[in-house]
Amino acid sequence: MSAVLGTAGVTLGLVASILGMITLALGLRRKNPGLLRAGQRYTWLVLAGGVVATIAMQYALLSHDFSLKYVADNGSRSTPLLYTVTTMWSALEGSILLWALVLSGYLAVMARHFRDRVTDPIVAWATLVALTVAAFFFGLMAGPANPFRLISGTIPTDGPGPNPLLQNHPLVAFHPPMLYLGYVGFTIPFAFALAALITGRVGEGWLVETRRWTLFAWGFLTVGIVLGAWWSYAVLGWGGYWAWDPVENASFLPWLTATAYVHSVMVQERRGMLRVWNLSLLVATFSLTILGTFLTRSGVLDSVHAFTESAVGPAILGFFALVVAVSIALIGWRGDLLRSPGSIDAPVSREGAFLANNVAFAAFAFVVLLGTVFPLLAEAVNGDQLSVGSPYFNKMTAPIGFTLLFLMAVAPALPWRKAAAETLHHRLLWPAWAGTLTVVACVLGGLRGLGPLLAFGLAAFAGAAAVRQLVLSTRAALRSGQPVWKGVLGRANGGMVVHIGVVVLAVGFAASSAYGHKAQFRLAPGQSARLAGHRVTYLGTSTVVHSNKTTTAARVRVDGGKVYEPALNQFPFGSQAIGTPSVKTGPLSDVYLTLVVTPDEQGVAVIGVNVQPLIAWLWTGGAIMGFGTFLAAWPGGRRRRRVKAAAPERTTGAQDAAVPEPAVAR
Amino acid sequence: MGLVLVVALGVGARGKSGPLTEDQRVHRIASVIRCPTCRGLSAAQSDAPAAEAIRDEIRRRVQDGQTDGQIEDYLVSRYGDDILLDPRANGVGLLVWALPLLGGAAAVAGLVFVVRRNRVRPGRRRVTAADQALVEEALHG
Repeated sequence: MSAVLGTAGVTLGLVASILGMITLALGLRRKNPGLLRAGQRYTWLVLAGGVVATIAMQYALLSHDFSLKYVADNGSRSTPLLYTVTTMWSALEGSILLWALVLSGYLAVMARHFRDRVTDPIVAWATLVALTVAAFFFGLMAGPANPFRLISGTIPTDGPGPNPLLQNHPLVAFHPPMLYLGYVGFTIPFAFALAALITGRVGEGWLVETRRWTLFAWGFLTVGIVLGAWWSYAVLGWGGYWAWDPVENASFLPWLTATAYVHSVMVQERRGMLRVWNLSLLVATFSLTILGTFLTRSGVLDSVHAFTESAVGPAILGFFALVVAVSIALIGWRGDLLRSPGSIDAPVSREGAFLANNVAFAAFAFVVLLGTVFPLLAEAVNGDQLSVGSPYFNKMTAPIGFTLLFLMAVAPALPWRKAAAETLHHRLLWPAWAGTLTVVACVLGGLRGLGPLLAFGLAAFAGAAAVRQLVLSTRAALRSGQPVWKGVLGRANGGMVVHIGVVVLAVGFAASSAYGHKAQFRLAPGQSARLAGHRVTYLGTSTVVHSNKTTTAARVRVDGGKVYEPALNQFPFGSQAIGTPSVKTGPLSDVYLTLVVTPDEQGVAVIGVNVQPLIAWLWTGGAIMGFGTFLAAWPGGRRRRRVKAAAPERTTGAQDAAVPEPAVAR
Repeated sequence: MGLVLVVALGVGARGKSGPLTEDQRVHRIASVIRCPTCRGLSAAQSDAPAAEAIRDEIRRRVQDGQTDGQIEDYLVSRYGDDILLDPRANGVGLLVWALPLLGGAAAVAGLVFVVRRNRVRPGRRRVTAADQALVEEALHG
């Protein structure tokens, strides 16, 4: 039953996408509003297809319909309800289904949002492009990645369940959907970018249309990546959260180009510059999400995430090549229209800082991409086996990270066009002191190492600069008789909140990587060990048999207080025992416990202990970034406030740069 | 302020003096060695038996008085080039280090060029007194 229903859903999605494309193409060709209107309506059928297929898959999983190959391979009667639901994205075919569902959702929201402008060619073309992407993903499910394929031979009575790592922590219910909301969200701005190129309306209109879409996609992607790091920390048991694993990099790459884009797009809106660059960044972001899917889902790279191997690799790679080729051809074709009217007046200006920011982000993305695919390239070229791992990425990206923190501190203080030295002095003085005094305090407090000290200093500098902007904008809001919270709304102010999140996250990253301690202790019950000022006492173990696993948990008392229970889980179908770390988390440091070896005959167990400072700052920073994005995308108020609030802080001594304070007017 | 910063960073960067302890050396070497069974993690990060075996091997050789380079050479001869997480800067491996540096240099050069070109672009009009008067009139009139 679910197979029939699911196949019907997939077919509906595919057929509706293709019919929508054809209808829109005909409508555009004949300039027929009726056809354009009809074409838009197909997006609702695509959504229906995605929803029906998802319902069918969930029904099959929940009713343990092992006649479906996907359910037989990834489902199990003993898996708890939550992980039965998340089994949908525990392997390739179901992940593609989730992707298609999210995409059809975005398509429908897009159709609704632009419902009054269906006859506008740019909207029609954008819908056509988005439908093409949908057709590809539904096509994948109709062909090589069919989630509703029936099992051949006898129907098993039970299955192995999802990969043990994917049924060990509830974050698995949030991380992939968030990530996909981010990935897939970039389809809409990308579709509008191509539509702008095709229609020749490459001015700033399409940017304004898609601004909020981009912000939401960026916010989801940010939160998705941070949740992924958290999942990795809570599940994988090595004490870290970011290993520069190819799959982590695959999600980080579009984030880097998208972050560059949300900054440089402001230069284009304001000054009309960087048109080709912005289009390229959007194309890069979208195509990197496709490349990421290829790397993650084709089994081309060995990694902790490569749970699946499949035949869809060539299809996705082909689609990636198509996206890149079409985009480059369109940008080349419209080259003459893309010549920008504006120009940069002075390097020390807001646009200059954004340009530097973009170079830094592009370099960052280049390094990460190169490091990720280099082993593949080297092997393809002359058969060399090479690894590129975290030491390489840390070394190469640290200077870029410092540059970005510095720019984050300076850029908000820079006026557009040209900055006078006095202005800068006035605006940067106390943030710079905040940074300097932070370094002094850290050194006096006994912290050593150039890298972390620089990171803390620059972070304080950038954080203070962001706080200064927010103080000014709330003051301006109050002065113009608006409530306080108006001062943190809107793109620039929300952006400053995001910056504070980045600062918090950067501090957590620098501290935890530089000042962590790690050790393993062989302990008999009652024995204690000390690490980095924390005392851990091993009390004993207990074994519990669950429906889906057998858990051996050690009881470990930390600092004479609460008892934590790191465990090892044996799953019936997994040969390797999967650890469940237990963490005493705090605002200043985390004590991360793992059970490395279960007790021997004498009752001696091996307990792994990781003490790392400021881990909680990573998750807090991520949450602040997500919240800031939400504030930045808050509708309305932008234009209205600008006029009123521009007056208070006028720059001194620069007639040609009498631009109001950036946080107040954008 | 600049002076304060430089002094503080200078003191902070010198770090705790004295040679590395045995543990620190083992950790430093193991952190650039891939854990053979767990892709993505270094031998310093992983608790896998294979990573532990490598750490023990490194410790034995550190105790024998071998240099970091000798120990890395041994591990490469035993496991192959891909045991190093930092590819060596020779042969193809050179590219992974050189390309970003070249690319970065090119990008900075390009940035400077763009800014320069815009600055000296011929025919850029200066603001005349008449323009100023118009602006004043628009603002205050």
